[in-house]
Amino acid sequence: MVYKLAKTDPRIVFIGSDLGAGTLREMREDIPAQFFMEGISEQHVVGFAAGLAQEGFIPYINTIGTFLTRRAFEQVSIDIGLHHLPVRLLASGGGMVYAPLGPTHTAIEDIGLMLSVPNMKVFAPADAFEMENLLSTLVGDEDPHYVRFGKGGESIVTQEFTTFELKPKIFGNESAEIIIFTTGVMLQHCLDAKLELQTQGFSTTVFHFPYLNDLSIEELDSYFGSARVRLCVEEHVPRGGLFTQILHELISAGKPLTNLYQLALPDSFSHNYGSQMDHLDSNGLTAPKVVAKIKELVSGSSKSNRMRT
Amino acid sequence: MTVDFVQSANQITLDMKSKDLRLLVLDALEGGGRGHLGPALSLLEIVRALYDSVLLHDPKFPLLPIRDRFILSKGHGCLGLYTVLADHGYFPTSDLKNFCSFNSNLGGHPERATLPGIEFSTGALGHGLSIGIGMAMAARLRDEKWRTFVLLGDGELNEGSVWEGAMHASQHQLGALTVIVDFNRMQASGELDSIVSLEPLALKWKAFGFDVIEVNGHDVAQLANVLGASVELFGKPRAVIAYTVKGKGFASAENSTAWHHKAKISGDEIALLRKEMNA
Repeated sequence: MVYKLAKTDPRIVFIGSDLGAGTLREMREDIPAQFFMEGISEQHVVGFAAGLAQEGFIPYINTIGTFLTRRAFEQVSIDIGLHHLPVRLLASGGGMVYAPLGPTHTAIEDIGLMLSVPNMKVFAPADAFEMENLLSTLVGDEDPHYVRFGKGGESIVTQEFTTFELKPKIFGNESAEIIIFTTGVMLQHCLDAKLELQTQGFSTTVFHFPYLNDLSIEELDSYFGSARVRLCVEEHVPRGGLFTQILHELISAGKPLTNLYQLALPDSFSHNYGSQMDHLDSNGLTAPKVVAKIKELVSGSSKSNRMRT
Repeated sequence: MTVDFVQSANQITLDMKSKDLRLLVLDALEGGGRGHLGPALSLLEIVRALYDSVLLHDPKFPLLPIRDRFILSKGHGCLGLYTVLADHGYFPTSDLKNFCSFNSNLGGHPERATLPGIEFSTGALGHGLSIGIGMAMAARLRDEKWRTFVLLGDGELNEGSVWEGAMHASQHQLGALTVIVDFNRMQASGELDSIVSLEPLALKWKAFGFDVIEVNGHDVAQLANVLGASVELFGKPRAVIAYTVKGKGFASAENSTAWHHKAKISGDEIALLRKEMNA
C-alpha cells in the first residue's frame, strides 16, 4: 500500500529498520529514492524520519511495534509528537502476534504509550481492507500516526464500510442487550462471539473503534439504553488502552458507567510462548470464552466487575 | 597535536564582539535567574562564526527555503545561540531578560514552535544528528545545495543514538552534512575522562567514515574558514572537532563544573561575572 501511495506522491518515503530480505522489493527497484532500509537503529530511524518530515516529506516507518513504542519512545514523543510532524509509524505485531518470540516482542502496552503522546493519532485497523482505506484516506493528514496491525492475513470483516472515518464502525442496532466494544484484529473474534450470542437469543451489537483518540462515545447513547452488559474486549494490558479511553470519555461526558466490564491481557509480561491464539485463549479473549463471560455477567454470577486472568 | 589545541583554546583572548555577546548572555542569565552558563560559553564562537560568516540565512525570513540548516543538538547551550540570533536581529535583544519566564519565547532549551530561527527543538541529548541526517537527505533528494550543520556536546557523545546516526550519515555519504563537536572535555559531573573518556575522538569519527578536522573552537577566523569550506552533496560527511573551554571568558567559570548549570543565580554572582568581563 505504501508503494502504491508513493508512486503518485513524491513526498512519501518508506523507511524500514533491517526488515526481512525482499521487503517491498518492487518499490525499492522502481522508486529507489523513496525507499530506505536503515539499520537496527530505531532511535535513528525515527529522528531521520522527523528530519525528512520537517522538510516536507511524509515518511512511513515500519518495524516491529515494540521497537517503535519502547526503544524509540523519546524520539517518537519529542521529534515527532512535539514537532507535530506527519510521520506514520506502521507497527507490526500489535498484541500477542509475536508470542513465540517472547515478551521482548509483544506490544501489549503500545496503545497506551502512543495515546499519551500529544498530537499522535492512534489507529488499530481490524483487517487489511480497513488498513488500506485508512492509509489512503489520511495520506495528507498533518498529524503523526501510529498504526497497530496484526500479522497480516486476518479475515476481512469490514468490507461493508467502503470509506474510512474517524468514528466507530457499528455492527448491530440500537436495541441490543449486549454491547461489545473492541479495536483492531480482535474485531473478528467479537463478531464471531456476536453470532454465537445471537443464536443463543442475546441481541448483540459490536462497536469497533479503529481510531482511539476520540471514540465519540457520547454519540452512542441511543445504543446503551437497552444494554444489560457493556463489555470491552482488547488485546492490550488493562490500563491505557481502549477501556481506559471509554471510561475517560464517558466520565468527561457525565455518562453512567453502569454495566461496564473489561476483558484484556493481564497486567504482566507473559513467559509463555506458543501462538497468538494460545494467549487469546488463555486470557479469555477468544469468541467462545467471550460468550461464556458475557453469559456469566448477564446471569449476575460473575464475582467482579473487572476481568482478571 | 591534541595538547596544542587544548592550550590554544585556553590561551586565545576574546575580541570585543565575543565579549559583548557574553554580556548579553549575562543579561539573559540575570533575567532568568538560572541557566547553563558554562556550556553556552564554550560554543559561542562556533555559533558566531556560523551565523556571521558561514550560514546562508535571513533574520527577516527565518524559513527561507534555501537557507542552511543549523541544529543545536546540545540544546542546553542555547544561551550561546539566543545571543547570536538576537545580535542578528531574529528578535530584540531586550527579550533576553525574559529568559525562562512563564510567557517567554526563550526557554531553558530552544524550541522551534516558540522562537524564529530555531530549526528543531532540542534538549534531550542525542537527537540532533539523526534529525540533521533527515534534513541533509531531504536536500539531496530534491537536489538542493543547502548545507546542514549539527552541533553536539562532547558529553552528548555518551548517547548511543549519536553513533547510530554517525553510522548512517556515513552509509548515506551525506557530504553536505557537518557535525561539530564542542569539545570542552567536561560534563556536568566532572572531566570527561573521569566519566566516559572519548579519546581518541578524532580517530573515532574517522573510523565512522567522516572527514575529520580539528580546530581551536574559540578562533572565529579559523572556524569560519573550516566550516565555510565547500562541500558536495555526495561524499564523506565532515566532523569538526572544536577544542573549547567550558565557561570561556569568565575566570570563575572556566573549566569549572560549578557553572555547568545553576537553578538559582544571585545578583552578586552576576555582578562578579560582569566585573570579570570588564577587568
